[in-house]
Amino acid sequence: MASNAAVPFWRAAGMTYITYSNICANLVRNCLKEPYKAEALSREKVHFSISKWTDGKPEKATLRSDSPDE
Amino acid sequence: MVIVPATTGQMGVLPGHVATIAELKPGVLSVHEGNETTKYFVSSGFVFIHANSFADIIAVEAVPLDQIDANLVQKGLVEFTQKLSSATTDLEKAEAQIGIDVHSALNSALTG
Repeated sequence: MASNAAVPFWRAAGMTYITYSNICANLVRNCLKEPYKAEALSREKVHFSISKWTDGKPEKATLRSDSPDE
Repeated sequence: MVIVPATTGQMGVLPGHVATIAELKPGVLSVHEGNETTKYFVSSGFVFIHANSFADIIAVEAVPLDQIDANLVQKGLVEFTQKLSSATTDLEKAEAQIGIDVHSALNSALTG
C-alpha cells in the first residue's frame, strides 16, 4: 500500500497539532486592534496546579500561571 | 452557503452537503445568507459537516475581519520572514513558517 501521505511541515519538525493550533491562535490574537486585543490576551492566560506522582501518591503540588510567552 | 478555508482549498458548503470532516488552515470563513455576507478569520481548526445539513466550525480563535489591525499584520509578516532566514533548528524553521503562513493569510483576508 502507499506510504503515509506527506505530513505537514510542522509535524515533520516534531510539533503536535495542538501546539501548531495554539501558535496560530496566539499569532492571530497579537494582530488584533486594541479593545479586542486585551480581551484576547486574557483568553491566553493559564493557571494550573501540577504535581508529580510517585508510588501512587502525589508529591507537593506547584501552582503555575504561565504567561502567553511561556 | 458557507465557504471554509480547508487545508485542501476553499470549500463551499450548502445544505445537503455530504457529511465531511475537514481540517482548516488559517483563513477567511464567509457566511452567505441571502444578500448578506459575514466574514471571520479563523486561526486553524476543523469543520464537521453533518448529514442533517448542520455544520460545526471548531477554531481556537475566530475574529470578525474588522478586528484585525493591518499594521500589526505587516510587522508580523516582516518579522517572521526574517526569523525564517535566521532559523537553524527544524523547530525554529517550522515556527517561522507558521508565522509567515498565518500573517500572509491575515494579509490576504484584509486585502482580498
